[in-house]
Amino acid sequence: MSEYLTATGLEVSFGGLRALQDCSFTVERGRITCLVGPNGAGKTTIFNVITGFLRPNAGSVSFQGTSLDGLKPQAIVAAGIARTFQNLRLFVDLTALDNVVVALPAQSGEEPLAAIFRPLHVARTQARRREEAIRILEHVGLADRAGEFVRNLSYGEQKLLTVARGLATGAELLLLDEPASGLSASALEQIMLLLRRLQSEGKTLLVVEHNTRVVQQIADEVLFLHQGHLMARGTPEQIISDPTLAEIYFGGAI
Amino acid sequence: MDFWLSYATLAAIYVLLGLSTNLLVGIAGIFSVSQAAVFGVGAYIVSYLLMNDLTTFLPAMLVAAAFCVVLNVLVTLPALRVSGDYFVVTSFGIQLLATAIFTNWTAGTGGANGLPGIPPADLFGKTLDTSTDLVMLSVGAMVLGCIAFWLIMRAPFGRLLRAIREDELAVAAAGKNVLRAKVSAAALAGAFAGSAGGLYATFLSFIDPSSFDLDASILLLTMVVVGGARTLAGSIIGPFLLLALPQVLSLIDIPTTIAAAARQLIYGVLLIAFMLFRPQGLAGEKL
Repeated sequence: MSEYLTATGLEVSFGGLRALQDCSFTVERGRITCLVGPNGAGKTTIFNVITGFLRPNAGSVSFQGTSLDGLKPQAIVAAGIARTFQNLRLFVDLTALDNVVVALPAQSGEEPLAAIFRPLHVARTQARRREEAIRILEHVGLADRAGEFVRNLSYGEQKLLTVARGLATGAELLLLDEPASGLSASALEQIMLLLRRLQSEGKTLLVVEHNTRVVQQIADEVLFLHQGHLMARGTPEQIISDPTLAEIYFGGAI
Repeated sequence: MDFWLSYATLAAIYVLLGLSTNLLVGIAGIFSVSQAAVFGVGAYIVSYLLMNDLTTFLPAMLVAAAFCVVLNVLVTLPALRVSGDYFVVTSFGIQLLATAIFTNWTAGTGGANGLPGIPPADLFGKTLDTSTDLVMLSVGAMVLGCIAFWLIMRAPFGRLLRAIREDELAVAAAGKNVLRAKVSAAALAGAFAGSAGGLYATFLSFIDPSSFDLDASILLLTMVVVGGARTLAGSIIGPFLLLALPQVLSLIDIPTTIAAAARQLIYGVLLIAFMLFRPQGLAGEKL
Protein backbone atom coordinates (compact mmCIF):
# COMPACT_ATOMS: atom_id res chain seq x y z
CA MET A 1 0.00 0.00 0.00
CA SER A 2 1.37 3.42 -0.92
CA GLU A 3 2.05 5.68 1.99
CA TYR A 4 -0.39 8.48 2.62
CA LEU A 5 1.17 10.40 5.46
CA THR A 6 4.73 9.60 6.44
CA ALA A 7 6.77 11.06 9.27
CA THR A 8 10.43 10.18 9.40
CA GLY A 9 12.90 10.73 12.22
CA LEU A 10 11.11 13.67 13.85
CA GLU A 11 13.07 15.40 16.59
CA VAL A 12 11.62 18.25 18.66
CA SER A 13 13.11 19.66 21.81
CA PHE A 14 11.90 22.49 24.01
CA GLY A 15 15.01 23.59 25.85
CA GLY A 16 16.22 20.47 27.62
CA LEU A 17 12.98 18.57 27.13
CA ARG A 18 12.98 16.24 24.16
CA ALA A 19 9.35 16.09 23.11
CA LEU A 20 9.95 13.90 20.07
CA GLN A 21 12.96 11.72 19.44
CA ASP A 22 13.50 9.78 16.25
CA CYS A 23 9.76 9.53 15.82
CA SER A 24 8.67 7.79 12.62
CA PHE A 25 5.25 6.51 11.61
CA THR A 26 2.84 6.28 8.71
CA VAL A 27 -0.88 6.83 8.39
CA GLU A 28 -2.80 4.96 5.73
CA ARG A 29 -5.48 6.43 3.54
CA GLY A 30 -9.08 5.90 4.50
CA ARG A 31 -8.39 4.55 7.97
CA ILE A 32 -8.94 5.79 11.47
CA THR A 33 -5.59 5.81 13.21
CA CYS A 34 -5.50 6.50 16.92
CA LEU A 35 -2.51 8.07 18.55
CA VAL A 36 -2.27 6.93 22.17
CA GLY A 37 0.27 7.16 24.93
CA PRO A 38 0.71 8.60 28.41
CA ASN A 39 0.64 12.36 29.03
CA GLY A 40 3.71 14.06 27.65
CA ALA A 41 4.33 11.32 25.09
CA GLY A 42 4.34 13.94 22.33
CA LYS A 43 0.94 13.40 20.72
CA THR A 44 -0.04 17.05 20.39
CA THR A 45 3.53 17.91 19.38
CA ILE A 46 3.13 15.55 16.43
CA PHE A 47 -0.02 17.43 15.43
CA ASN A 48 1.81 20.73 15.68
CA VAL A 49 4.62 19.44 13.48
CA ILE A 50 2.36 17.95 10.81
CA THR A 51 0.24 21.11 10.56
CA GLY A 52 3.20 23.46 10.35
CA PHE A 53 2.77 25.19 13.72
CA LEU A 54 6.04 23.80 14.97
CA ARG A 55 9.20 23.28 13.00
CA PRO A 56 11.00 20.06 14.00
CA ASN A 57 14.72 20.19 14.80
CA ALA A 58 15.15 17.24 12.49
CA GLY A 59 13.09 14.84 10.43
CA SER A 60 10.46 15.33 7.79
CA VAL A 61 6.80 14.79 7.01
CA SER A 62 5.39 14.00 3.60
CA PHE A 63 1.80 13.79 2.47
CA GLN A 64 0.79 11.86 -0.65
CA GLY A 65 4.37 11.83 -1.81
CA THR A 66 4.95 15.57 -1.34
CA SER A 67 7.15 16.97 1.39
CA LEU A 68 5.45 19.30 3.88
CA ASP A 69 8.72 20.50 5.39
CA GLY A 70 8.92 24.23 5.90
CA LEU A 71 5.35 24.87 4.71
CA LYS A 72 3.19 27.39 6.56
CA PRO A 73 -0.04 26.19 8.23
CA GLN A 74 -2.17 27.70 5.47
CA ALA A 75 -0.25 25.81 2.77
CA ILE A 76 -0.70 22.58 4.70
CA VAL A 77 -4.44 23.15 4.96
CA ALA A 78 -4.48 23.80 1.22
CA ALA A 79 -2.65 20.50 0.72
CA GLY A 80 -5.56 18.78 2.46
CA ILE A 81 -4.75 18.44 6.16
CA ALA A 82 -6.81 20.15 8.87
CA ARG A 83 -6.72 19.87 12.63
CA THR A 84 -8.77 20.50 15.72
CA PHE A 85 -7.42 21.63 19.07
CA GLN A 86 -7.72 19.93 22.41
CA ASN A 87 -8.86 23.23 23.94
CA LEU A 88 -11.25 23.75 20.97
CA ARG A 89 -10.18 27.33 20.06
CA LEU A 90 -13.59 28.16 18.63
CA PHE A 91 -14.52 31.76 17.88
CA VAL A 92 -16.84 32.16 20.86
CA ASP A 93 -18.25 35.54 19.84
CA LEU A 94 -19.31 34.25 16.43
CA THR A 95 -22.26 32.00 15.64
CA ALA A 96 -21.80 28.31 14.97
CA LEU A 97 -22.53 29.03 11.31
CA ASP A 98 -19.90 31.77 11.08
CA ASN A 99 -17.32 29.52 12.71
CA VAL A 100 -17.80 27.15 9.80
CA VAL A 101 -18.03 29.85 7.13
CA VAL A 102 -14.70 31.35 8.22
CA ALA A 103 -13.00 28.03 7.56
CA LEU A 104 -14.37 27.56 4.03
CA PRO A 105 -11.58 27.85 1.45
CA ALA A 106 -10.63 31.17 -0.17
CA GLN A 107 -13.71 33.30 -0.45
CA SER A 108 -14.55 36.20 -2.65
CA GLY A 109 -14.81 39.26 -0.45
CA GLU A 110 -12.03 38.18 1.85
CA GLU A 111 -10.10 41.10 0.37
CA PRO A 112 -11.30 44.54 1.48
CA LEU A 113 -11.29 45.97 -2.05
CA ALA A 114 -13.61 43.25 -3.34
CA ALA A 115 -15.83 43.85 -0.31
CA ILE A 116 -16.11 47.56 -1.14
CA PHE A 117 -16.26 47.55 -4.91
CA ARG A 118 -18.10 44.32 -5.70
CA PRO A 119 -20.66 44.11 -2.89
CA LEU A 120 -23.33 42.37 -4.98
CA HIS A 121 -20.98 39.69 -6.18
CA VAL A 122 -19.78 39.17 -2.62
CA ALA A 123 -23.35 38.95 -1.33
CA ARG A 124 -24.22 36.30 -3.93
CA THR A 125 -21.22 34.13 -3.18
CA GLN A 126 -21.88 34.63 0.53
CA ALA A 127 -25.33 33.13 0.18
CA ARG A 128 -23.80 30.09 -1.49
CA ARG A 129 -21.20 29.81 1.24
CA ARG A 130 -23.84 29.92 3.92
CA GLU A 131 -25.69 27.03 2.29
CA GLU A 132 -22.47 25.08 2.11
CA ALA A 133 -21.79 25.75 5.78
CA ILE A 134 -25.33 24.69 6.73
CA ARG A 135 -24.79 21.41 4.88
CA ILE A 136 -21.64 20.82 6.90
CA LEU A 137 -23.46 21.63 10.13
CA GLU A 138 -26.23 19.20 9.12
CA HIS A 139 -23.58 16.62 8.57
CA VAL A 140 -22.31 16.84 12.13
CA GLY A 141 -25.83 17.23 13.49
CA LEU A 142 -25.73 20.91 14.43
CA ALA A 143 -27.94 22.43 11.73
CA ASP A 144 -30.58 23.51 14.24
CA ARG A 145 -27.91 25.36 16.24
CA ALA A 146 -26.50 27.29 13.27
CA GLY A 147 -27.55 30.74 14.48
CA GLU A 148 -26.48 30.16 18.08
CA PHE A 149 -23.40 31.84 19.49
CA VAL A 150 -20.70 29.35 20.39
CA ARG A 151 -20.78 30.28 24.07
CA ASN A 152 -24.39 29.06 24.21
CA LEU A 153 -23.53 25.63 22.84
CA SER A 154 -22.97 22.64 25.11
CA TYR A 155 -19.48 21.23 25.36
CA GLY A 156 -20.46 18.26 23.19
CA GLU A 157 -21.89 20.57 20.55
CA GLN A 158 -18.72 22.64 20.63
CA LYS A 159 -16.65 19.52 20.01
CA LEU A 160 -18.82 18.66 17.01
CA LEU A 161 -18.38 22.20 15.77
CA THR A 162 -14.59 21.87 15.81
CA VAL A 163 -14.97 18.85 13.54
CA ALA A 164 -17.32 20.84 11.30
CA ARG A 165 -14.74 23.60 11.09
CA GLY A 166 -12.11 21.09 10.06
CA LEU A 167 -14.43 19.66 7.42
CA ALA A 168 -15.14 23.14 6.06
CA THR A 169 -11.53 23.52 4.96
CA GLY A 170 -12.16 20.65 2.54
CA ALA A 171 -9.30 18.66 4.01
CA GLU A 172 -9.27 14.91 3.43
CA LEU A 173 -7.00 14.14 6.37
CA LEU A 174 -8.35 15.34 9.69
CA LEU A 175 -6.21 15.45 12.81
CA LEU A 176 -8.52 15.40 15.81
CA ASP A 177 -7.07 16.20 19.22
CA GLU A 178 -9.12 14.35 21.85
CA PRO A 179 -12.52 14.69 20.18
CA ALA A 180 -14.16 12.48 22.82
CA SER A 181 -12.67 13.76 26.07
CA GLY A 182 -15.02 15.21 28.63
CA LEU A 183 -18.17 14.10 26.82
CA SER A 184 -21.30 12.55 28.25
CA ALA A 185 -22.18 9.01 27.18
CA SER A 186 -24.68 10.12 24.56
CA ALA A 187 -22.41 12.81 23.13
CA LEU A 188 -19.68 10.20 23.01
CA GLU A 189 -21.86 7.88 20.94
CA GLN A 190 -22.71 10.75 18.64
CA ILE A 191 -19.11 11.68 17.96
CA MET A 192 -18.03 8.08 17.40
CA LEU A 193 -20.83 7.65 14.88
CA LEU A 194 -19.71 10.84 13.16
CA LEU A 195 -16.10 9.69 12.92
CA ARG A 196 -17.20 6.38 11.44
CA ARG A 197 -19.39 8.16 8.94
CA LEU A 198 -16.57 10.50 7.90
CA GLN A 199 -14.41 7.47 7.31
CA SER A 200 -17.04 5.84 5.14
CA GLU A 201 -17.14 9.03 3.08
CA GLY A 202 -13.46 8.75 2.32
CA LYS A 203 -11.85 10.89 5.00
CA THR A 204 -8.73 9.74 6.75
CA LEU A 205 -8.56 10.44 10.49
CA LEU A 206 -5.65 10.67 12.87
CA VAL A 207 -7.10 10.89 16.36
CA VAL A 208 -5.46 11.54 19.71
CA GLU A 209 -7.54 9.66 22.25
CA HIS A 210 -7.22 8.61 25.87
CA ASN A 211 -10.41 6.67 26.29
CA THR A 212 -9.53 3.03 25.57
CA ARG A 213 -13.16 2.13 24.95
CA VAL A 214 -13.35 4.78 22.23
CA VAL A 215 -10.07 3.60 20.75
CA GLN A 216 -11.33 0.03 20.67
CA GLN A 217 -14.50 1.04 18.93
CA ILE A 218 -13.19 3.37 16.25
CA ALA A 219 -9.54 2.61 15.56
CA ASP A 220 -8.39 0.57 12.61
CA GLU A 221 -4.87 1.03 13.79
CA VAL A 222 -3.23 2.31 16.94
CA LEU A 223 0.09 4.10 17.22
CA PHE A 224 1.51 3.87 20.72
CA LEU A 225 3.75 6.76 21.58
CA HIS A 226 6.07 6.83 24.56
CA GLN A 227 8.64 9.51 25.43
CA GLY A 228 8.41 11.03 21.99
CA HIS A 229 9.04 7.80 20.20
CA LEU A 230 6.76 5.35 18.39
CA MET A 231 6.88 2.33 20.64
CA ALA A 232 4.36 0.03 19.02
CA ARG A 233 1.72 -0.09 16.35
CA GLY A 234 -1.07 -2.55 15.75
CA THR A 235 -4.77 -3.19 16.04
CA PRO A 236 -6.48 -1.93 19.20
CA GLU A 237 -6.64 -5.52 20.50
CA GLN A 238 -2.92 -6.05 20.03
CA ILE A 239 -2.04 -2.81 21.76
CA ILE A 240 -4.44 -3.21 24.66
CA SER A 241 -3.48 -6.80 25.33
CA ASP A 242 0.25 -6.02 25.43
CA PRO A 243 1.19 -6.06 29.14
CA THR A 244 4.27 -3.85 28.68
CA LEU A 245 2.24 -1.13 27.03
CA ALA A 246 -0.50 -1.40 29.64
CA GLU A 247 2.14 -1.03 32.32
CA ILE A 248 3.45 2.15 30.67
CA TYR A 249 0.01 3.52 30.06
CA PHE A 250 -1.59 2.78 33.40
CA GLY A 251 1.33 1.95 35.66
CA GLY A 252 2.97 5.33 35.50
CA ALA A 253 6.35 4.00 34.41
CA ILE A 254 8.58 6.87 33.41
CA MET B 1 -25.40 78.87 12.26
CA ASP B 2 -21.82 78.79 11.04
CA PHE B 3 -20.92 77.42 14.44
CA TRP B 4 -23.05 74.32 13.91
CA LEU B 5 -21.80 73.82 10.37
CA SER B 6 -18.18 73.93 11.43
CA TYR B 7 -18.94 71.54 14.28
CA ALA B 8 -20.61 69.10 11.85
CA THR B 9 -17.73 69.41 9.37
CA LEU B 10 -15.13 68.70 11.99
CA ALA B 11 -17.13 65.85 13.52
CA ALA B 12 -17.59 64.25 10.09
CA ILE B 13 -13.82 64.35 9.57
CA TYR B 14 -13.28 62.77 12.96
CA VAL B 15 -15.77 60.04 12.07
CA LEU B 16 -13.35 59.00 9.31
CA LEU B 17 -10.62 58.92 11.95
CA GLY B 18 -12.90 56.97 14.28
CA LEU B 19 -13.50 54.41 11.52
CA SER B 20 -9.76 54.20 10.95
CA THR B 21 -9.01 53.67 14.63
CA ASN B 22 -11.88 51.23 15.00
CA LEU B 23 -10.64 49.13 12.10
CA LEU B 24 -7.14 48.94 13.47
CA VAL B 25 -7.71 48.80 17.21
CA GLY B 26 -11.24 47.50 17.58
CA ILE B 27 -11.47 45.05 14.74
CA ALA B 28 -7.97 43.94 13.85
CA GLY B 29 -6.82 44.16 17.48
CA ILE B 30 -3.69 46.16 16.63
CA PHE B 31 -3.50 48.55 19.55
CA SER B 32 -2.05 51.63 17.88
CA VAL B 33 -1.56 54.92 19.71
CA SER B 34 -0.14 56.64 16.63
CA GLN B 35 -3.17 57.13 14.38
CA ALA B 36 -2.91 60.92 14.74
CA ALA B 37 0.56 60.75 13.20
CA VAL B 38 -0.87 59.15 10.06
CA PHE B 39 -3.69 61.71 10.11
CA GLY B 40 -1.02 64.44 10.25
CA VAL B 41 0.98 63.05 7.35
CA GLY B 42 -2.18 63.09 5.22
CA ALA B 43 -2.83 66.70 6.23
CA TYR B 44 0.72 67.85 5.46
CA ILE B 45 0.82 66.08 2.09
CA VAL B 46 -2.43 67.63 0.89
CA SER B 47 -1.32 71.05 2.18
CA TYR B 48 2.02 70.76 0.39
CA LEU B 49 0.46 69.73 -2.92
CA LEU B 50 -2.19 72.46 -2.82
CA MET B 51 0.02 75.28 -1.52
CA ASN B 52 2.56 74.65 -4.24
CA ASP B 53 -0.17 74.37 -6.83
CA LEU B 54 1.02 70.92 -7.84
CA THR B 55 -2.38 69.27 -8.16
CA THR B 56 -6.03 69.97 -7.55
CA PHE B 57 -7.82 68.71 -4.44
CA LEU B 58 -8.93 65.21 -5.51
CA PRO B 59 -5.55 64.04 -6.84
CA ALA B 60 -3.93 65.48 -3.71
CA MET B 61 -6.33 63.43 -1.59
CA LEU B 62 -5.50 60.31 -3.58
CA VAL B 63 -1.76 60.88 -3.14
CA ALA B 64 -2.23 61.43 0.59
CA ALA B 65 -4.42 58.34 0.96
CA ALA B 66 -1.99 56.19 -1.00
CA PHE B 67 0.98 57.47 0.99
CA CYS B 68 -0.81 56.85 4.27
CA VAL B 69 -1.73 53.32 3.19
CA VAL B 70 1.97 52.54 2.78
CA LEU B 71 2.89 54.44 5.94
CA ASN B 72 0.29 52.72 8.10
CA VAL B 73 1.32 49.31 6.83
CA LEU B 74 4.95 50.08 7.68
CA VAL B 75 4.01 51.51 11.07
CA THR B 76 1.87 48.51 12.03
CA LEU B 77 4.25 45.87 10.67
CA PRO B 78 5.95 45.61 14.09
CA ALA B 79 2.52 44.67 15.48
CA LEU B 80 2.59 41.57 13.37
CA ARG B 81 5.91 40.58 14.96
CA VAL B 82 5.64 41.67 18.58
CA SER B 83 2.58 40.94 20.67
CA GLY B 84 0.04 43.43 21.97
CA ASP B 85 1.66 45.01 25.02
CA TYR B 86 4.97 45.53 23.29
CA PHE B 87 3.37 47.06 20.26
CA VAL B 88 1.78 49.82 22.34
CA VAL B 89 5.29 50.90 23.32
CA THR B 90 6.51 50.71 19.71
CA SER B 91 3.51 52.67 18.54
CA PHE B 92 4.06 55.25 21.26
CA GLY B 93 7.61 55.72 19.94
CA ILE B 94 6.34 56.15 16.40
CA GLN B 95 3.94 58.85 17.56
CA LEU B 96 6.71 60.74 19.41
CA LEU B 97 8.95 60.45 16.35
CA ALA B 98 6.22 61.84 14.11
CA THR B 99 5.58 64.76 16.47
CA ALA B 100 9.30 65.53 16.52
CA ILE B 101 9.39 65.60 12.73
CA PHE B 102 6.24 67.73 12.44
CA THR B 103 7.70 70.20 14.94
CA ASN B 104 11.28 70.38 13.73
CA TRP B 105 11.16 69.97 9.97
CA THR B 106 10.52 73.67 9.50
CA ALA B 107 11.03 73.67 5.73
CA GLY B 108 8.38 71.01 5.13
CA THR B 109 5.83 71.49 7.89
CA GLY B 110 6.39 75.02 9.05
CA GLY B 111 7.53 73.61 12.39
CA ALA B 112 5.72 74.59 15.55
CA ASN B 113 4.34 77.70 13.83
CA GLY B 114 2.36 75.49 11.49
CA LEU B 115 1.29 76.01 7.92
CA PRO B 116 -1.04 78.96 7.34
CA GLY B 117 -2.90 79.74 4.12
CA ILE B 118 -3.79 76.28 2.91
CA PRO B 119 -6.07 76.72 -0.12
CA PRO B 120 -9.66 75.52 0.18
CA ALA B 121 -10.78 72.27 -1.41
CA ASP B 122 -12.09 72.24 -4.94
CA LEU B 123 -14.21 69.74 -6.82
CA PHE B 124 -14.56 69.60 -10.60
CA GLY B 125 -13.24 73.15 -11.05
CA LYS B 126 -15.43 74.65 -8.35
CA THR B 127 -13.77 76.06 -5.25
CA LEU B 128 -15.50 74.98 -2.06
CA ASP B 129 -15.18 77.88 0.32
CA THR B 130 -18.57 78.45 1.91
CA SER B 131 -19.32 76.61 5.13
CA THR B 132 -22.22 74.84 3.42
CA ASP B 133 -19.86 73.53 0.69
CA LEU B 134 -17.44 72.32 3.31
CA VAL B 135 -20.00 70.56 5.42
CA MET B 136 -21.34 68.83 2.30
CA LEU B 137 -17.83 67.75 1.33
CA SER B 138 -16.89 66.29 4.69
CA VAL B 139 -20.27 64.74 5.35
CA GLY B 140 -20.11 63.25 1.84
CA ALA B 141 -16.69 61.80 2.61
CA MET B 142 -18.00 60.52 5.93
CA VAL B 143 -20.93 58.79 4.23
CA LEU B 144 -18.59 57.14 1.71
CA GLY B 145 -16.35 56.03 4.56
CA CYS B 146 -19.30 54.64 6.51
CA ILE B 147 -20.58 52.72 3.49
CA ALA B 148 -17.13 51.23 2.91
CA PHE B 149 -16.86 50.28 6.59
CA TRP B 150 -20.32 48.72 6.57
CA LEU B 151 -19.62 46.72 3.42
CA ILE B 152 -16.35 45.47 4.84
CA MET B 153 -17.83 44.44 8.14
CA ARG B 154 -20.54 42.33 6.56
CA ALA B 155 -18.19 40.79 3.98
CA PRO B 156 -16.05 37.71 4.62
CA PHE B 157 -13.15 40.09 5.26
CA GLY B 158 -14.93 41.52 8.29
CA ARG B 159 -15.74 38.08 9.61
CA LEU B 160 -12.14 37.02 9.09
CA LEU B 161 -10.89 40.02 11.05
CA ARG B 162 -13.26 39.29 13.92
CA ALA B 163 -12.09 35.69 13.97
CA ILE B 164 -8.46 36.82 13.98
CA ARG B 165 -9.08 39.10 16.93
CA GLU B 166 -10.54 36.16 18.83
CA ASP B 167 -8.00 33.49 17.98
CA GLU B 168 -5.25 33.99 15.45
CA LEU B 169 -3.96 30.47 15.74
CA ALA B 170 -7.34 28.95 14.99
CA VAL B 171 -7.66 31.16 11.90
CA ALA B 172 -4.27 29.98 10.68
CA ALA B 173 -5.36 26.39 11.36
CA ALA B 174 -8.37 27.02 9.13
CA GLY B 175 -5.98 27.75 6.29
CA LYS B 176 -6.24 31.54 6.23
CA ASN B 177 -3.47 34.06 5.75
CA VAL B 178 -3.59 36.02 8.99
CA LEU B 179 -0.76 38.35 8.05
CA ARG B 180 -2.38 39.45 4.81
CA ALA B 181 -5.69 40.19 6.51
CA LYS B 182 -4.00 42.32 9.15
CA VAL B 183 -1.94 44.21 6.59
CA SER B 184 -5.12 44.87 4.59
CA ALA B 185 -6.84 46.26 7.69
CA ALA B 186 -3.86 48.51 8.39
CA ALA B 187 -3.84 49.70 4.78
CA LEU B 188 -7.50 50.56 4.90
CA ALA B 189 -7.12 52.37 8.21
CA GLY B 190 -4.28 54.35 6.62
CA ALA B 191 -6.43 55.41 3.68
CA PHE B 192 -9.17 56.60 6.05
CA ALA B 193 -6.77 58.54 8.27
CA GLY B 194 -4.92 60.10 5.32
CA SER B 195 -8.13 61.30 3.66
CA ALA B 196 -9.31 62.72 6.96
CA GLY B 197 -6.03 64.63 7.17
CA GLY B 198 -6.56 66.21 3.76
CA LEU B 199 -10.09 67.27 4.60
CA TYR B 200 -8.96 68.68 7.92
CA ALA B 201 -6.17 70.78 6.40
CA THR B 202 -8.32 72.29 3.66
CA PHE B 203 -11.18 72.92 6.07
CA LEU B 204 -9.13 74.81 8.67
CA SER B 205 -6.67 76.31 6.13
CA PHE B 206 -4.14 76.14 8.96
CA ILE B 207 -2.45 73.15 10.55
CA ASP B 208 0.19 72.77 13.22
CA PRO B 209 1.72 69.79 15.07
CA SER B 210 -0.60 70.13 18.06
CA SER B 211 -3.45 68.55 16.05
CA PHE B 212 -1.42 65.43 15.37
CA ASP B 213 0.29 64.71 18.67
CA LEU B 214 -0.10 61.99 21.28
CA ASP B 215 -3.08 63.77 22.85
CA ALA B 216 -4.80 63.61 19.48
CA SER B 217 -4.10 59.88 19.17
CA ILE B 218 -5.50 59.31 22.63
CA LEU B 219 -8.55 61.41 21.77
CA LEU B 220 -9.16 59.06 18.83
CA LEU B 221 -8.93 56.04 21.13
CA THR B 222 -11.28 57.75 23.58
CA MET B 223 -13.77 58.32 20.76
CA VAL B 224 -13.74 54.62 19.92
CA VAL B 225 -14.02 53.59 23.57
CA VAL B 226 -16.88 56.01 24.33
CA GLY B 227 -18.70 55.43 21.03
CA GLY B 228 -18.18 51.70 21.06
CA ALA B 229 -15.69 49.39 19.40
CA ARG B 230 -16.29 47.51 16.19
CA THR B 231 -19.58 49.07 15.19
CA LEU B 232 -20.46 51.72 12.67
CA ALA B 233 -22.76 53.48 15.13
CA GLY B 234 -19.98 53.61 17.71
CA SER B 235 -17.58 55.18 15.22
CA ILE B 236 -20.11 57.92 14.50
CA ILE B 237 -21.39 58.60 18.02
CA GLY B 238 -17.93 58.85 19.61
CA PRO B 239 -16.58 61.75 17.51
CA PHE B 240 -19.84 63.71 17.49
CA LEU B 241 -20.13 63.43 21.25
CA LEU B 242 -16.54 64.20 22.21
CA LEU B 243 -16.21 67.11 19.79
CA ALA B 244 -19.33 68.64 21.28
CA LEU B 245 -17.57 68.85 24.62
CA PRO B 246 -15.34 71.88 23.80
CA GLN B 247 -18.42 73.65 22.44
CA VAL B 248 -20.33 72.94 25.62
CA LEU B 249 -17.40 74.15 27.71
CA SER B 250 -17.26 77.35 25.70
CA LEU B 251 -20.84 78.07 26.75
CA ILE B 252 -19.85 77.92 30.38
CA ASP B 253 -18.27 81.10 31.63
CA ILE B 254 -14.73 79.97 32.42
CA PRO B 255 -11.39 81.37 31.24
CA THR B 256 -10.04 79.74 28.05
CA THR B 257 -6.85 78.66 29.78
CA ILE B 258 -8.85 76.57 32.19
CA ALA B 259 -11.22 75.34 29.50
CA ALA B 260 -8.42 73.57 27.59
CA ALA B 261 -7.23 71.84 30.73
CA ALA B 262 -10.79 71.00 31.74
CA ARG B 263 -11.36 69.40 28.34
CA GLN B 264 -8.33 67.13 28.69
CA LEU B 265 -9.40 66.28 32.19
CA ILE B 266 -12.89 65.32 31.09
CA TYR B 267 -11.55 63.24 28.19
CA GLY B 268 -9.31 61.37 30.62
CA VAL B 269 -12.10 60.78 33.11
CA LEU B 270 -14.41 59.57 30.33
CA LEU B 271 -11.78 57.15 29.05
CA ILE B 272 -11.24 55.63 32.49
CA ALA B 273 -14.92 55.58 33.40
CA PHE B 274 -15.95 53.85 30.18
CA MET B 275 -13.13 51.32 30.39
CA LEU B 276 -14.20 50.46 33.94
CA PHE B 277 -17.97 50.65 33.80
CA ARG B 278 -19.01 50.35 30.19
CA PRO B 279 -16.26 48.75 28.11
CA GLN B 280 -18.64 48.23 25.20
CA GLY B 281 -19.11 52.00 24.90
CA LEU B 282 -22.44 53.58 24.06
CA ALA B 283 -23.14 51.53 20.95
CA GLY B 284 -20.47 48.94 20.45
CA GLU B 285 -18.78 45.85 21.71
CA LYS B 286 -16.17 45.36 24.39
CA LEU B 287 -12.76 46.53 23.22
